[in-house]
Amino acid sequence: MRTIIRNVIIADKSSSFNGRKVNVCIEDDVIALITENSVDHEKADHVIDGSGKYLFSGLFDLHARFREPGEEYKETIDSGCMAAAQGGFTDVLLMPDTTPAVDNKSQVDYILNRSIGKITDVHVAGAISMDLKGKDLSEMHDMFLTGARVFTDDKHSVQDAGLLIRALLYSRDFNARIFNFPNDKSISGKGVMNEGQQSTLCGLRGIPAIAEEIMVERDIMLSVYTDTNIHLSTISTAGSVEKIRRAKKAGYKITCDVAAHNLLLDDSHLSDFNSLYKLMPPLRTNEDISALIEGLKDNTIDAICSDHSPEHTESKKTEFDLAAYGISCLETSLSCAFTALKNHLDHAEIFSKLNSNPRSIIGLPVPVIEEKAKANLVLFDPANNWTVREWDIKSKSKNNPFINTQLIGRVEMVYNNSILHFCN
Amino acid sequence: MTTLSTKHLLGIKDLKLDDIRLILSTAANFKEVLSRPIKKVPSLRDVTIANLFFENSTRTRLSFELAERRLSADVINFTASSSSVSKGETLIDTVNNILAMKVDIIVMRHPNAGAAEFLSRYVNAQIVNAGDGPHEHPTQALLDAFSIQEKFGDVKGLKVAIVGDILHSRVALSNILCLQKLGAEVMVCGPSTLLPKHINSLGVKVSNNLREALEWCDVANMLRIQLERQDIRYFPSLREYIQLFGLNMEILSSLSKKITIMHPGPINRGVEITSEVADSDQSIILSQVENGVAVRMAVLYLLAGRTAE
Repeated sequence: MRTIIRNVIIADKSSSFNGRKVNVCIEDDVIALITENSVDHEKADHVIDGSGKYLFSGLFDLHARFREPGEEYKETIDSGCMAAAQGGFTDVLLMPDTTPAVDNKSQVDYILNRSIGKITDVHVAGAISMDLKGKDLSEMHDMFLTGARVFTDDKHSVQDAGLLIRALLYSRDFNARIFNFPNDKSISGKGVMNEGQQSTLCGLRGIPAIAEEIMVERDIMLSVYTDTNIHLSTISTAGSVEKIRRAKKAGYKITCDVAAHNLLLDDSHLSDFNSLYKLMPPLRTNEDISALIEGLKDNTIDAICSDHSPEHTESKKTEFDLAAYGISCLETSLSCAFTALKNHLDHAEIFSKLNSNPRSIIGLPVPVIEEKAKANLVLFDPANNWTVREWDIKSKSKNNPFINTQLIGRVEMVYNNSILHFCN
Repeated sequence: MTTLSTKHLLGIKDLKLDDIRLILSTAANFKEVLSRPIKKVPSLRDVTIANLFFENSTRTRLSFELAERRLSADVINFTASSSSVSKGETLIDTVNNILAMKVDIIVMRHPNAGAAEFLSRYVNAQIVNAGDGPHEHPTQALLDAFSIQEKFGDVKGLKVAIVGDILHSRVALSNILCLQKLGAEVMVCGPSTLLPKHINSLGVKVSNNLREALEWCDVANMLRIQLERQDIRYFPSLREYIQLFGLNMEILSSLSKKITIMHPGPINRGVEITSEVADSDQSIILSQVENGVAVRMAVLYLLAGRTAE
């Protein structure tokens, strides 16, 4: 298959073509030609006009859930992969909180086998502890040999510092990565939203910033003590940014990411108890959003993820306290991040937070847009001011608060594994 | 102004000052009706009201029911213990099943904050919030304001202290919003563990000292310690709470002025206030109960009038 993209701007900081307007010719799995000269269209199967659009490497999501096995009514690997492609993600790292949890080799094997031959490449994170209970270490090495590079207890957060030390030391021997979502449950308790004026007005239990920050501080100390990398998932507060900034200055091995929606939405969205905005971490304040954007600018925050959490209607259409946490958002995360950041960061820099940096964090090779490289590409229109419609959501679950709202910038096309997907 | 600006009564938050004034003046008319030999008026004939109580309540339910019957409405009652909630039916399904029997107004008490607002988005009936978790209890705040106005002539310029478990109290939030709209100054007082951290962002004074609060205020609203809402211990023992925040005659009579004592009920006698205080001439607790019926009649009458337009 031969595909030509004309007059497109390359947005890839590592590419020698970065910032240049070129014609790109893709043949099957390979970028055959990149040139500023005209290309022969005759034999092409698809000719795509890239005028005014960016071409960059496929996005890599560090934080998604496809609910298979166990909750296939919310999402499957098939539907999840389509949702990812629709949003420009050619790679996703799936969290281990399936039913049963991914805490052994056969679970890793099952998911990887189910994912073969799709446009989206699936990566699996294993659980740190058996059944995500936070007590006994899972067989991380066995899972590592099967293909899991990352270990995390996801939203359960490892509460027991001693367990996290053992996980860091044990996985260091085979160079796996440990992710932890910072949330001290003895403080956050039964909280359902950010603690502040809005939670006071709603009479809803608050999750104070300190519940996150105290664990950020702890995890930095554990990383130093064990001399091991630790990655902090989905940070959300100004205090966390500041602590990580100091740790990085000191040369500690800390990386972190932020969920795209935490860059755009604040806790005022909860004033009418709309459970689509019930998230973990919760939506914070405008001051937190500004601090997160500053953190992305100075590279305190390495990456942006989706935190894709598909939930069926019944688990959201209920009393706020009883509603599930999370948003189903792979299709809109890039547009959400772009809307929040387009006036603050260089555009190629924004994309690097979603494609090259996530791969670097977990030690995977970073694709570069050059001739003879693998064709792993996203075409993105930065000027498309579009209204998200329910039919744009390919996930089985529609718990996406951006439906019927406007976002800026839209993925037009994704190309990976010789498969071409048009998003419009 | 003769009609409310809202279709539902979900919270004081949504009411304009004119709405509150209209409810209070209508309540005064109904209070006069309630003093007549024949207390029943035909205003809500042919209106069916369902009282849905998903949480235990005696006085609020009785007060609403009496208000509804005095307005000649048809009334049905539904409590969680006799319901299908325990069989796993969702709130929307439960309510829609009741609405299918042609109900016009729903009065709902629910343990979760925001339940009334949630319901109002999905069902086609008028909703009166009779308390939703630790969020709002608007009719309580309105009857408290009515009682204060009755005693002092006007709420404006008064100083009202709300004492006790502010964290778990829907009465506190609704009272703060209502009293502020009417021009009163509000202070909350209690142990720091029972005060929301950001309560001062609502523009209230905050104190942890009972005597200080009582010296400051004209009216003290003593909230009930809601042990049933506390999933963890916020203070070591009731004994210690009483030592610090229990109001007794000794403190009350040592104050430099005579303040008015209120309580939303039910009273834990000997905990937040002693019997002597509750039954003293400074207490208007029983007037609050009496006024509750008139205020709820006013709310239902005004809401029903809105549909008739």
